[in-house]
Amino acid sequence: MLLFRGPHWDRGLSTDELQQVMDKVMAWFEGLNERGKIKGAQPLGGQGRVISGTDGRFVVDGPFTETKEAVGGYLVLQADSPNEAVEIARSMPTLRYGISVEVRPILAECPIFQRHPELLRRVTDPAAEQLWVAVAA
Amino acid sequence: MSTTTKSDYLLLFRGNVWDRGLSPAQLQKVVSDWMAWFERLKAEGKCTGGHPLEDEGKVVSGKQRTVADGPFAESKEAIGGYFYLTVADENEAIEIAKQCPGLEHGSVVEVRPVAEICSVKQRAEEYSKRELAGARA
Repeated sequence: MLLFRGPHWDRGLSTDELQQVMDKVMAWFEGLNERGKIKGAQPLGGQGRVISGTDGRFVVDGPFTETKEAVGGYLVLQADSPNEAVEIARSMPTLRYGISVEVRPILAECPIFQRHPELLRRVTDPAAEQLWVAVAA
Repeated sequence: MSTTTKSDYLLLFRGNVWDRGLSPAQLQKVVSDWMAWFERLKAEGKCTGGHPLEDEGKVVSGKQRTVADGPFAESKEAIGGYFYLTVADENEAIEIAKQCPGLEHGSVVEVRPVAEICSVKQRAEEYSKRELAGARA
């Protein structure tokens, strides 16, 4: 999964520059799509909430767009190797304008659950058990 | 015949070290609650996808396209996984986020609307429209 961080990279660009970059981004995306590398991709809206605390008692409003760390969108890649995923990330046209791309392998099971494998066998929910079996197979 | 509009939201789970300090029994409960929660949302058609992310990974940034290593496991802000929701509205997405079994152990859930169109592309189009209007005036 590629996470695109820093959604305000367009600040300070002229309309022409911005149009050029957007054309490059679209061409980049279409190229990957034609090669069958994209499993899913969406931009995220700047609004949103952050939920925390027991039973979600804290609900804080966005926006999330003002920081360089904010996630502005994601792309799920079908890459042949971790290197290919990184190379695809490196070819993203907006990198030179200050965004960063986080490249994260998608897992079949949660690392926290993996740290405690004994628990996987003890999960009581039948649906969950079925899922773990499927993962193991 | 009535039509219902559904909206898509991404839940981003932040903080992937919440298992520290939990007893095996507590952890087992969170694991089975989490799996049951995911299976229920899928069965209800409200969650169409979700994955945990591996702690390792890379960050690509800058004009030089520098590649830096993770890990992402040590931070409370790190994204540990996501759910893709298709629900009636933001309130329903928030209510679902509040049910996250990791919340009482320090997990944070970011609720983000999935956008139809990238915010930068939208701004680029607005600039062009304004310039066109300016040229006509």
